[in-house]
Amino acid sequence: MRRLALPLALLLLAGPARAWRLWGEPSDKKIRPVQALADARRPAEVLAALTPDFVQTLRGTDLRQAYILKGDSLDHLGRVDEALGVYQLGVKLFPGNVDLLTRQGDLLHRNGLDDQARTLYLKAIVHEPKHFGAHLGLAEIDRRSGFLDRSASHYEAALETLDGRADVWRAYAETLLAQRDWTTGDLAIARAISLDPKNADGHVLTAFARRAQGDMTGALAALDDALALGADAGARRAKALWLVEAGRPAEALAEADRVLKDSPGDGAALWARARAQLLLGRGAEALRDLVPLTTPARADFASRAARGLRDAIAAPAEAR
Amino acid sequence: MIRRAAAACLAALIAVPASAALDLSADALLRDHLWREVRQAPSGRRPRVGLVLSAGSLRGVAHVGVIQALEDAGFPIDLVAGTSMGAVIGSMYAAGMTPKRLRDFATSINVGSGNNLSSSSLISLLLFDKLLSSENTEIMLRKNIGGIRFDQTLKPFACVSMDVYTGEAIIFRDGDVAKAVRASMNLPGIFRPLEYRHRFLVDGGVVDYIPVDAAKLLGAEWTIASVTETDYTTSRPENVLESLLQVIDIRGSYLSREQRKQANFLIEPPVGDIGMFEDHRIVEAIDKGAVIAASRLEAAKESLILASISRLSAGWSAKGAKAE
Repeated sequence: MRRLALPLALLLLAGPARAWRLWGEPSDKKIRPVQALADARRPAEVLAALTPDFVQTLRGTDLRQAYILKGDSLDHLGRVDEALGVYQLGVKLFPGNVDLLTRQGDLLHRNGLDDQARTLYLKAIVHEPKHFGAHLGLAEIDRRSGFLDRSASHYEAALETLDGRADVWRAYAETLLAQRDWTTGDLAIARAISLDPKNADGHVLTAFARRAQGDMTGALAALDDALALGADAGARRAKALWLVEAGRPAEALAEADRVLKDSPGDGAALWARARAQLLLGRGAEALRDLVPLTTPARADFASRAARGLRDAIAAPAEAR
Repeated sequence: MIRRAAAACLAALIAVPASAALDLSADALLRDHLWREVRQAPSGRRPRVGLVLSAGSLRGVAHVGVIQALEDAGFPIDLVAGTSMGAVIGSMYAAGMTPKRLRDFATSINVGSGNNLSSSSLISLLLFDKLLSSENTEIMLRKNIGGIRFDQTLKPFACVSMDVYTGEAIIFRDGDVAKAVRASMNLPGIFRPLEYRHRFLVDGGVVDYIPVDAAKLLGAEWTIASVTETDYTTSRPENVLESLLQVIDIRGSYLSREQRKQANFLIEPPVGDIGMFEDHRIVEAIDKGAVIAASRLEAAKESLILASISRLSAGWSAKGAKAE
């Protein structure tokens, strides 16, 4: 007991400013009404409530929370520059606060400033090694930067806390599939589907995993599952192209037509139609399907590829 | 325990964006579909892809990051050509070293690697014009890839050097790899010209900074070049050695203006501010190479797909499909 008393006394004598560490930061609970406004998603009213005079009366956790609420509200209202300024000031005042660090990091990351965001996330992890927000931010940045192994490690760290989040499991699975780690990728997808069985994204991911492993039948079946759950036109588009890959041109034509019904200029569907026509030995029809894609006004990838295919079909075989 | 439970509850409630979902846009799906065809294409159904690694002294370690990103993406590389540091990294890659081993190698090098740099040799260089020897480059290479010859590499490889007496660019495609790479990395004014095959050879960066021609000589029909030029506008040489290197870099930069146009696709790691002696920035250079390559990957894929369509399409008709 005496051994404990001395350090405690020293800590108290070291300065009253640090003494709160023993029983928590001071709070007058003045921020609570403003927090209620933020919880009710009324950012304009939060900003109106956080007047400079009011903020001056705050201390400890209340003051820190005021910066978070102000930054969040500005961000919600699309005033990104101002939000960044508030977070920066907050981080200067509370350099060890992981919430402020990660919020500033998120804002920078969302705006493509990944290098600066990375620094903030890493600082947050120093203060709180298991901070899921920081790990998630780093996972995304590393994935975008091509460091797939690092990205997977950060997803794993985030998932220690976010174990129940299907979207995080899917993002993790995508990274594993990009690394061609099929076994762990399949497990991650299975976990995402078990958490959120009615979400089509998990089945789309399964389809990509199956196709990457050469199981086209399984891939198309997974796409059907996704479509049954209401997956959007993307899944149907993928199905049209993959049916071409599977050498099933009649079905590819039908699937492409379904996409084109809602979106007549869809590049992938038009391409799938043209390829299916070629497989059926109908070169003239293929050229006709490429016409909407090869208009000079279009500059997307589908149209550039279509021009190449049109020229190749039109050129005599021996010229290739 | 309570804290952990609270964190779990908070995590379930807070809308943390996990990541952008799979891109199922028309362009992304079509690119993915055609990329699969390019990767699976039998020989002759797509252009032969040549990876060209530029000169660039220490900055050239950024090539390791570029190779890592290309390998991770399954980018087909059929052959490799390099000059100077590009030749060192390229020879090891062509010999079969994995990106991880390349990274381990690159992070282990320092200013003294590949030469006999020491206080006494530096004094000899400055006071008595006694040039250094690049023999350690050869030893270092033999340690990593053994005494292999050009015809024994896993991917065809070529590297470029210059005959200091004739000014000719010498493209090595046969013989001993380590010796040729040493010649390619033999900085003039610092290392003694290497006498090899009746020629006196110095660094190829002086005449062939981005050796697209060497890749084409090996049979490349589509080239992707990693270029690690210096940004000489920001560097201020403070001694004889730095001035000499600056002049070589400026000369290389003039040369590369034309050579850039010959490559089908360029990846330029932003390492221009990394000096020859800044070996503490090697990891940074490698990472910059990986990041820029990852960001350019989709564009590189599109470029190769478009260059491949005319050949790929030969197998897309009913007749072509049957023939396959």
